[in-house]
This record gives sequence, structure tokens and C-alpha cells, in this order.
Amino acid sequence: MNTELSEEAVEFGRTALRAFEAAGGDQLVQDAEREPARRAELVEPVLDELGAWELDPRGGADELEAAAALCKAAGWWALPYPVAERLCRPTDGSTDASTEGLVVIAGTEPGPRSGPGPAAPVAGLGPRWSTVTLDGRRGLATAAEPVGSPRYTAFVTELIPDPIPAPVPDLPAIDGPADGLADLALGLVLPCWTLLGMLDRAMELARAHVLAREQFGQPLARFQGVQFQLTDAEVERVGVEELAKYALWAVATGRPEAVDDALALRLAALEAADLVFRVTHQLHGAMGFCDETTLSWISRYSQPLRRLPLGQAATRDHLTQRIGRIGLAGPFATQLEVQPR
Amino acid sequence: MTIPTGSGGSTGSGGSTASGASVAGPVDLAEFRAEVQRWCRENVPSDWRRAQTGASAEEFAAFQQDWFQQLRAAGYAVPHWPAEWGGGMPVAQQVVLYQELAAHDAPRLVLGFVSIHHAASTLLVAGTDEQRRRHLPAILDGEIWVQGFSEPEAGSDLASLRTVARRDGDTFVVDGQKLWASGAAHADWCLLLARTDPDAPKRKGISYFLMDMRSPGVDVRPVRNAIGDSHFCEIFLNGVVIPAENLVGPVNAGWQVAQATLAAERGMTMLELAERLGNAGFRWLVDTCRTPGPGGGRPVDDPRVADRLAELETEITGLRALCRGLVERHEADTAGPADASVVKLFYSELLQRTMDFAVEVAGLPAHAELRKPASSGWESGAWVLDFIGSWEWTIPGGTSEIQRTIIGERGLGLPREPAASA
Repeated sequence: MNTELSEEAVEFGRTALRAFEAAGGDQLVQDAEREPARRAELVEPVLDELGAWELDPRGGADELEAAAALCKAAGWWALPYPVAERLCRPTDGSTDASTEGLVVIAGTEPGPRSGPGPAAPVAGLGPRWSTVTLDGRRGLATAAEPVGSPRYTAFVTELIPDPIPAPVPDLPAIDGPADGLADLALGLVLPCWTLLGMLDRAMELARAHVLAREQFGQPLARFQGVQFQLTDAEVERVGVEELAKYALWAVATGRPEAVDDALALRLAALEAADLVFRVTHQLHGAMGFCDETTLSWISRYSQPLRRLPLGQAATRDHLTQRIGRIGLAGPFATQLEVQPR
Repeated sequence: MTIPTGSGGSTGSGGSTASGASVAGPVDLAEFRAEVQRWCRENVPSDWRRAQTGASAEEFAAFQQDWFQQLRAAGYAVPHWPAEWGGGMPVAQQVVLYQELAAHDAPRLVLGFVSIHHAASTLLVAGTDEQRRRHLPAILDGEIWVQGFSEPEAGSDLASLRTVARRDGDTFVVDGQKLWASGAAHADWCLLLARTDPDAPKRKGISYFLMDMRSPGVDVRPVRNAIGDSHFCEIFLNGVVIPAENLVGPVNAGWQVAQATLAAERGMTMLELAERLGNAGFRWLVDTCRTPGPGGGRPVDDPRVADRLAELETEITGLRALCRGLVERHEADTAGPADASVVKLFYSELLQRTMDFAVEVAGLPAHAELRKPASSGWESGAWVLDFIGSWEWTIPGGTSEIQRTIIGERGLGLPREPAASA
């Protein structure tokens, strides 16, 4: 098992970081928020140039790793674009292969429902989206017109699911239950890489801030109480990074427990995000709540990733129900040898 | 120490308080509670939340002024002030008052918060008779105050502030910049710390002033925060003239004045905030937990949710006891040097935990609730905004790091953190 990203994927991630920086860097999300209609034109040329849509994350470990590196780079700049969701677009020639991308939605029914419908940060980027439920059922949905300014919605809009077509007798269902489990694992893992890029950035911003900001005649970083908060957050971040690589490997190798690993990654990423953003905000002081600081933007645009399709408690609940008393296979399961007594 | 139950029925005694406040004879708390309940039913505007949602700055200010005068007429606006200035309510009665105002979802005094707490406390502890006579009645008439302490380079290290006040005959001329002055856009007066002796050790060269915000050279600019609120403000001061009679305490003793007044103020504000959290915020959280979700189930039927609720209620009960104890010890002059820090640290982190849980339980629909009425408390029921707002609490008025340092050094008598070597 090798969970390290290939050198090519790492280099692709660096290239993407530089390309986003050259295209405006932190300014991109600010411009997109001010003029939501320009969101696609601000970002898509860079992604086209990078060859983002030539990547097929289902096409093997190399491409999947490059896709993950791209998502992480997008997270670093809080790129106002659902890169992970678009990378996950179905390519299997099924009826929904022409959609804009694939979004994981809560629940177990792909069709219309009562109560709040599924939602995703895909406002204004084309109407048709593929969906996959948390038990692996694929479906189709139409993105509603955005309601309100992205300042408050972070581009989240409702997805209105299509009715489920009645099954045709004597024909096998194209998208029966469980057909979409691989899509589900992929659709859960890639957005976690975007979030990971945001955590990296938040940590770097906080580190730079406490080194530069002087109080009591010395940089804040000199205070152990400050250092320890940042180190606790860093430990969380590193843990998520390792889990993200492991879950990516589980997806790439098509392991049957990939969905469990993806959910475990998501839970760990959400927990880490809570701590990382709490600490980085606290260390920035009041300024961190204002849009003069980059942290404020990263933090605000991390919210859809952290709340959709499920928040922390619901993710934990879903994972617990899935794995029951069996537990996670884990990276070392295959090496486990039980000695006879 | 009696833990307030919020359900009434207990009988306490009134009498005089250590701060010199007195009331005539013992007060039956149950009777007082009934009186406040009656008043709330008759006076809390039923539609204030709707009216204050999306209200303009002017509508907010007008509503706050009006509500303040209603409370004042009932004797509920400044119960914590000494009797001679219009207060004099015993602590036990104040607890009941705050409980009932919260339970009846009364608007909070947001606009006058600094005026009735920080400004009044400064004037009462360190002001001259003339300053008290000038400003305390004016505050009752609606004079609004802002605190001008923090600066871009002086946050936690407040004593390193750089705003300068130069003596010029019988006036001081002030130049500098203040930051995070909440509510400055509405303020008539400012509690200002400025450096009067640049050569003295930093805590010994600061003076405390009362500054008229209408003075020439005062420029207020709002700073918009992450949720689109603009209550934070910057204040730019260019050659602002302050008469020497507006000095509070001696020249260069401003740091000591600020320490004394902040300690006096803290307990009073926390008493009200703790009762709000217990009697409004927590109650709404329980309501949220009882509301069936999209799947039909009620969160409260999940044992983990019930467990968290029990845990939070226990902590909130503890907080209310802590706050009441602090106020009582303050009045008896027996408060410890770190007591206020314990309360501030506990409240701010508990508020964050509570709001975090509320967001989680309320689920996705709560994320669509993106407007919170002006004049509401830190817990308005718009949980996402309340949660983000709660993050603010561990920063102003001494960050959690500063509070922990105070508890360590002054409370536990631990040594100071070593100064960094060059």
C-alpha cells in the first residue's frame, strides 16, 4: 500500500496553485462574490488551461491523485467553483453523463422529498447535476435559481431532484441501489481534499499572523499558550491529510470498504476543520472576523463543504450505522495475523 | 450560595447592599416575580422581532431608546446602579428581573449596554461628583457611550496603546486611532484611554478621558464583519480637544482607573447575560430539539441529544451560580482577583459550545435563517448567526488567553510567563 501522492500529482498541484494565483489568487472569490454572474468566466479559463476536465478520476490512481491535488489547490485559494463536484461528473455513458457534475446528497431517496431538499454550492453553473445518495443511488437534479447574495449563501442553491422513473419490467435497472457506491466514495473524498487545502491555508495564515503580530513587545508566536493552540490544530490537520491519502488509495484500488473510509475521512475532516478554524480565528483576534483578512473568506467559504450533505453529528451517525459493530478495515487489516492460542 | 431556579417561589430578603444601595424593607421575591411578569406581558412588544429584522441603523437606535425609557419608567433599566442614581435593587431581585425579561423574550439593551455598565461604573468608581451629575442622569435620558480602548497595535497588550493626548493649557489635544469600538456610530460620548506621558513605563503614562464624540476631529468608520454586521467601528482622532475637567482620575493613572472600573462592571453584565442564556437561549434550544426534523423524528428523543442537553443545562446552572456569586462577592468587597476572569472565560466558551450544538441540532434549515433581529441577545434563535457571533466572545474584553493568564498569575499565584529573550 502506497498512500503518497505521485510526484506528478504533487507537481500538478503546485502548477495549479500558481495558475490560480496568477489568475487573481485571493481576489477570485472576492470578485465572484461581488459579481456572481462572472463566477464561471473568472475561473473556468484557468481550469481549462490546466487541463482539469481532461482528468478522469475514475481512470486510475494517477488521474485520481492529480484530481485530489487540484482540489487541494482550489481549497487553498477558496476558489469559488465546485472543482471536486465537476471532476466527479459521471463518465460511464449512462443517461446522466451529460450533467455538469456529481453531488452527494443526504438521504436514501434520489427523487423528490418533503422537508428541505438537497443543496450544493453550484449556483449559476448550469442546471443539470447528477446526484448520488448516501446509500449509493444515482439520480438527476436541477439546480434552482440562486436565492440571495453569495455573501450569505456561499453559492449554495437547492437541487430539485427529478422524479424517479418507474422501473421497466424485464429490464435490469440502470441505476439500482448500490450501483453508485463507487461514485459515492469518490464524491465524498474529493471535496475533503478541497477542505484540506482550506485547512492548510488557514494554518499558514495563522502561523504568519502570530509571527508578525507583536503584543507585549514580542511576536504572539513567542507565547507558549499561542504555540500550543496552533500545534493542536496542526496535529488535527496532519491526521486528516494522512486519512485523505488513505481514503484516496481505497477509492483508487476499488476497495469494497471505500465508502466507509470516505465517511471516516469526512468525519475527521469536519472535526479538524472545527478546531483549525476555531484556533486560527482566535489567534487572528477580532480582525479575523473581517473581510480585510483572507482567513474570513476561507472560513466563510469552507461552510458549504462542512455542512453539506451532512454536518458532523449526522456524518458520525451515518458512519456508525454503516459500519455497525464490524468497524473499519483500516490500512493494516490485510497484514493482521491472528496467532493461534 | 443559592442557585436561581427560574421558576419562582423562593423568598429572599431585600435590605441594603454593600454599594450603598438600599430598598425599603424585605422584598418578597415571588411577589416581585409576579410584578415583573405582569409588566412584561403588558409591555414587551409582541412584534418586536419582526420589526427589528432588517431594521435600519436609525430604526434600531430609535427602538432601543424607546425600550430603554419603558424599562426606566418601570425601574428596570439600571437596577444595578446605587439607589441615589435610580437603581438600588438587591442582587436576588436583579436575578429575578433578568430571568423574567429573558423568559418573556424582551429585547436586550444593546445600544445602551456600554452606557449603563462601563460608563456608569467608571463614573461611580472614579468620576468626580460633577462628572456623575453631568452624565448619569443623561445616560438615563438616553446618552449613548462607546469604549475607545483597543487600537490596531494594542489589542491584548492594551497598555502599549499609542493614541496621544498632549496637554495644552486647560485642555488635552488627542491624536490617534481606536479600533473595535462597538456601537461608535451611535455614540454621544466615548471612554477614552490615551497616552499622556510617552516617557513613563507604558502602564504609568496613560490617562482616562470622557470624550464628546461630536468634537471636531472625531471620525467614525464602520468595519463590516463576516456576517455583514457593522457594529465594530474605527475611530480616527485628529487634534481632538478635550477639556481637562473630562479627565477621570489623576493624569497618568488611567490604567489603574480602567482596571478598577472593568472589574466593577464585569459581574453586573455577566449576571444579565447568564440569565439570558439560561432562560432564553437554552429554552429555545430545547424547543429546537423538540421540533420534528425532516424525517419526522424529534432530536430530543435521541439519547445523545438528551445527554448533551443535560450537560449544557448543568453547565449553564453552574454559570448562573458563578455570576451571582461574583456579584455578591463584589458587593461585599470579597471578590478574588481572578473571579471575573473565571466567569468571562466560562461564559464565552460555554456560549460557543451551546451555539455549536444548536447549529448541529437545527440542521440544514437553520442555515437558511440568515437574518437575526436587531435588539436580540447573543442567542436569538437564528442559530448559525448566533454561533458565528459567539466566536467573538473569546476575543474582546480580554481574550481567553489573557483570562487564563490572569487566572494563572493572580488567581493561582503562578509565576509570570518568562519574557522572551532578544
